[in-house]
Parts: sequence; structure tokens; C-alpha cells
Amino acid sequence: MREQGIPVLEGIVATSEQRALDAARELGEGPWVIKAQIHAGGRAEGHVGGSEDLRGIEFSNTVLGVGQTAARMLGNSLVTPQTTRQGETINAVYIEPEIRSELQIFLAILIDGERGEPVCLASVKGGSQVERDIFDDPNSLVRAPLGATNQIALSVGHEVASQLGLSSSSIGAFAELVQQLHGLFVARDLSLIEINPLAIRSNGSLVALDARVTVDDNALYRQPAMGALASRGDQSGAEERAAKNGFNFIPLDGNVGTLSSGAGLAMATLDAITHLGGRPANFLDVPPVLEVSRVKEAFLLVLSDPGIKSLIVNVFGAGIMRCDTIADGLLLAHLEQPVSIPLVMRLAGTNAPLALSRLERSGLDIQFAPNLAAGAQMVIDAADSPPAPRHTYSIAGRLAQWITRAKEGPRS
Amino acid sequence: MSILVDESTRVICQGITGRQGTFHCERALASGTQIVGGVRQGKGGTSHLGVPVFDTVAEAIEVTQASASVIFVPPANAAEAIIEAADAGIALVVCVTERIPVLDMVRVRAHLKESNTVLVGPNSPGLAVPGVGTLGIMPQGIFLPGAIGIVSRSSTLTYEAVDQTTRNGLGQSACIGIGADPVGGISVSQCLQLFMDDDQTQGVALIGEVGGRAEENAAEFLSTLSSVKPVVAYIAGQTVPEGRRMGHAGTIVHYGLGTARTKIKALQDAGVRVVSSPVEIGSAMAESLGR
Repeated sequence: MREQGIPVLEGIVATSEQRALDAARELGEGPWVIKAQIHAGGRAEGHVGGSEDLRGIEFSNTVLGVGQTAARMLGNSLVTPQTTRQGETINAVYIEPEIRSELQIFLAILIDGERGEPVCLASVKGGSQVERDIFDDPNSLVRAPLGATNQIALSVGHEVASQLGLSSSSIGAFAELVQQLHGLFVARDLSLIEINPLAIRSNGSLVALDARVTVDDNALYRQPAMGALASRGDQSGAEERAAKNGFNFIPLDGNVGTLSSGAGLAMATLDAITHLGGRPANFLDVPPVLEVSRVKEAFLLVLSDPGIKSLIVNVFGAGIMRCDTIADGLLLAHLEQPVSIPLVMRLAGTNAPLALSRLERSGLDIQFAPNLAAGAQMVIDAADSPPAPRHTYSIAGRLAQWITRAKEGPRS
Repeated sequence: MSILVDESTRVICQGITGRQGTFHCERALASGTQIVGGVRQGKGGTSHLGVPVFDTVAEAIEVTQASASVIFVPPANAAEAIIEAADAGIALVVCVTERIPVLDMVRVRAHLKESNTVLVGPNSPGLAVPGVGTLGIMPQGIFLPGAIGIVSRSSTLTYEAVDQTTRNGLGQSACIGIGADPVGGISVSQCLQLFMDDDQTQGVALIGEVGGRAEENAAEFLSTLSSVKPVVAYIAGQTVPEGRRMGHAGTIVHYGLGTARTKIKALQDAGVRVVSSPVEIGSAMAESLGR
């Protein structure tokens, strides 16, 4: 944003107490803001390390206070409404001067799917509560459709500013900012750019206090610089593995593992389990693939969660995703790491009978569900019942044979 | 009468020579879909799967009189392929391609405003009219010609709804997967209109998901109608934690809008029966029709 001439607050990232102290001194006069750096929102509402008095965003009037707060944050985990219950570990804090502003604006550009074009959203109710405030009072939100153009007119921002009721001293700068943000949005293939809050100082000048940018994943092939920015160093091991394989994976807190193909079916699997009183341990959507090795990775990923007591596989074979690929992936995963929890398979669509016949001979503890309703109930019951005795005989050799034969054999 | 395509519709495939195009066209041809040609620049004059291949859509139309196209070209060229088809006068474009940059689709939408072309997708499993054919990637052998119109934002859940309505004997008049991308072509409301106007359709199953405003708009549309066929809806993602992203941009829950709660309320207010679990779609549909 700085490159585009967008006014941002100067701040410094610190990864130790000493660096935090240095940063505070370097930034000059206080007071300062200390912000925990994690990849999730809701930081001002979150708690660090389970403590009641330490939030993810804190303020200090003294240099010493900055150091102390940084020391208490670093290495601890921050739990916010948008993280899991375990939270995310704080490996860095961001120190910046605290701005006392007249007005805090929420300003965003995102895609309006219904209209099929970018839209500018703005509200004078900026700050960490903005989502709640806007939901409570939808009329406080100003909307301006931006069309399919590469550059919007300054008049668009003028109109938004006047609808917000901004004073004349800041309207010009605001209109220019909206134009710059839109330029960035289009040039960098963003799906969201959001400044919250945008502070307006008493002299009318603007400064972005916090910003969030989401790059359109589908355009990363033509935005290499944004790809580098988007890579996350602090994902959990499982999330990183999932991202590497192109899986959509979200760990949850329950004990029923899930593996599906297709985001809709994966969500429906969670809904069906929750509806019957079960607790899903994860969301996992394996995109349609031909390679058995990727499916194997998906199984290893979901089975690596020590908290899962049973696993449901819900796949409707269609397109290039065939049920036998799922079956083979499971058998390969089992060779690498024996599966000891009960499995419920709901396989339908392309090559389902072939997959079922292969799995039936595998010796694994598998129940086959005729439909999703039955499968959801089976997998919940399996999670609640005491674990079955583990298979003690080795079937690895036979499995390997079957897989080889299957690969050479005809594909129906 | 049938939905978007009928027995006389002649279909071409853009990207027919690719792996995906080949796989699905082969199956569609085998099940009787009238695919009369393909388009692949540089391969004009050859033939593939027993049908002629052309360099451009315009040439394909000239020779085959096609009026529908199904698109399998890679994401970087897909927007241009849709625009080419529309400019050449194709009436129905089904775009299967996923991962098209959203700003490309913004451009396509602006372009289509000036044409009469209907776009289904992108990121769509396509369209199936049982007894007529499939345009896209929906699996063969799960359909049953019948009474239910299915409109869905989720590919895999479409098959779930098809499966349930085939098993309980209701069957389908047509099944439209509108695609899961934030910016696409035909809307849920437009599909509902098609089903309301279709004689064969007796009831509609609407498969939505969290994010966007498609279901809210559909509810608004339904409440403007004087007589409505029974509609059963399921919204995927009711148990998804808010603010988390599940799979694709279409499912981001933004600013308190487009949550499962707001969608279910809007649909119920419009007289739609909303089931809380995906397994109840088929049985609720049968009940609504008194079967």
C-alpha cells in the first residue's frame, strides 16, 4: 500500500522484548500500540495465553510497558473468535504509535457477486466492532458499485465521502484514496482490500491504522509477488500440509474425522453429523484428482489428528474423481500408517462398486453406508463406542498385490 | 417443453481435445447427448471422438448449426472462450472450468449484459436434462426423467439431491449446477423462473450454501409470484464457524450477511420448506408433493 502512496502508519515488527523496546524508542514519543501478529482477526477481543487482562491489541504509555507487554505476548497463543480453541502462537508483535483520531472509518473494496463487479463499502462505525455494528444497523453502510473499469473516477469517492458526512477538509484525500485502493485491487487481482480503521486526524489528513488484503487465489499465476506475500509461515503443521496438497482443510474441535470431495458435500457432511449430535473434528475437501498418492496424503492428514475416534468418507464420484481412487488412496495410507480407528465409507457415483469390492477384501474395520443419513449416524456411534481390538495380522503384502493388480486391470 | 436444452439442441465443446473435455464428451456422447463438434484453435479440420474440430466457434456454428457450447478450456483462457461463444451467437454457454480469476468474470459479466447468451457457471458441474443429455461433468446413470427441478450452487451436493430424488422415484425435469464462484452467469432466481414456467416440473429442490445473497434474492423473487410450486431448500454450511473460509470464495461469510441463519429465515418467510440436514431433501420433496 505504501508503494501506491496510500498513507499508512509507520510501525516496526519485533520478535523479542529487546526489539520491542528498541522499536518503541525508534518510533519516538508514545503512547504506543502493541499488536500480536497472527493470521486471524478479532485480536482486540482475543485473550493471550488464557489470561483475562491481556488482549491481542494493547496500549502503553511507557517504553518499559511496551517491552513488558511484548514479552507477555511473544511465544504465547492468542485465542480470538476467529481462531480455534487452541489459538495461534504469537511469534511477532507489531509496535506503532497510537493515533488519536477524530473519526474512525471502515473502508473496503470487494467483489459483489450478485452485481458481478467490485463494490466499495464504507461506514463511519469503523473499529473492531464494525461487523456487529453494521449488522445491527445496515443503513450505516454506504455502498458504491465500481463497475468493470480499470480506473474509477474521483467522483465515486467524493460521493461516498459525502454520504458518510465527512468534513470538506478530508473529502479530497478520501476520494483519492478510494481511487488508489481500486487501482491496487484491479492491478493485483485482489478479492478484498479493507482498511479498518481509517483514522481522520483533526487537520483532515488520513492514515490507515490497520489493513487486510485478500488475493484472489485463482489469479496467483499472474501475480507472483502476491503469492510470496500470501504464504503463511505460522500455519499448523496439518494446515500447511493441506495447503501444499491443494486440500481445503480446517481443523475443528470434535472427535469425528471427515473426508469428502467437493466443498458443498464436505459442508453437508459436517451439517449431517452436527444435526445428529456428533462433533466433527475437521473439514476436509479433497479436490477432484486422478492421482492416488494425493488421496493417500489426504487420508494421512486427517488420520494424523490424535483426537479423532472415527472417520467418515463421503464421496460422490463424478468428473475425474472416481471412487476407486479414494479406495486405493485409503489402502496406500494404511500401508504407510496402519489405520486403527473405525471407518464409515459412503461411496456413490463413478466406480463405486469397484471401490467397495476392493475395500471389502482389505480387512480394515469399515462399515459401508448406503447414504449420508445412515453414514452420519454410523460414524457418530463408532466414535462413541470403545475402540475395537486392533488387527494384529499383517495384510500389507496382500494389499500391495491388490493395488498392483488393480492398476493393471481394466477400468470400468 | 424442457429446460434450456431439448432434443433438437446441437452442442459443441470448446476444449474438446483436452483430457477433461475428452473424458466428459465421450461419456455424454455415449449417453445420447447431441455433441456435433468441438473447438480447439490450431486443430481445425481434424476430428476427435468422431466429431469435427474447428478453429473458432463461428466456424463451428456455420457448419454444425450449434446453439449450445460446453467449455473445458484452462482458467487463463476461459473468459475469452465465453466471450467468443457469446459473440458468435451461441445461445447457451455452460462453463465447467474452475479457478477463473474473479476479475476476468467481472469483465465477462459486463460483456454478456449486451448479449442474449445464457451462461451457466463457471465452476459448474453443468446442466442435465434426463432423457435429453448432459452438458458438463455430471455423472451418467444417476438421473431419472421426472418431476423435480434441481438448482444448486454446489457440484457434489447436486448429485446428492439427484440421488435422493431418483431413489424415491420422483425423478428430475432438469438439474442445473450454477457454479460456486462469486461472479457467475445464471442466478438461482432465474433458474427458479425456468422451473416455475416448465410444465414437466412439479417441485423444485434448491441447494444453497453460506455466503453471497443468492438465496435471499431467490426468496425475494418467490414472494413476488402469485402461485408457486413447492420448493424445498437445503443450505450447506449451517454448522460452519462464521468468518472461516470453507473451500472457495463463494462461501466466505462477510459482514454478517449471507449466513445460514439469514438465508433460512428469508426462504422460510417466502414459504419454502428448509430442511436442516442434506439427507432430508428427497423425503421433504416427496412430502411437499403429497407422495
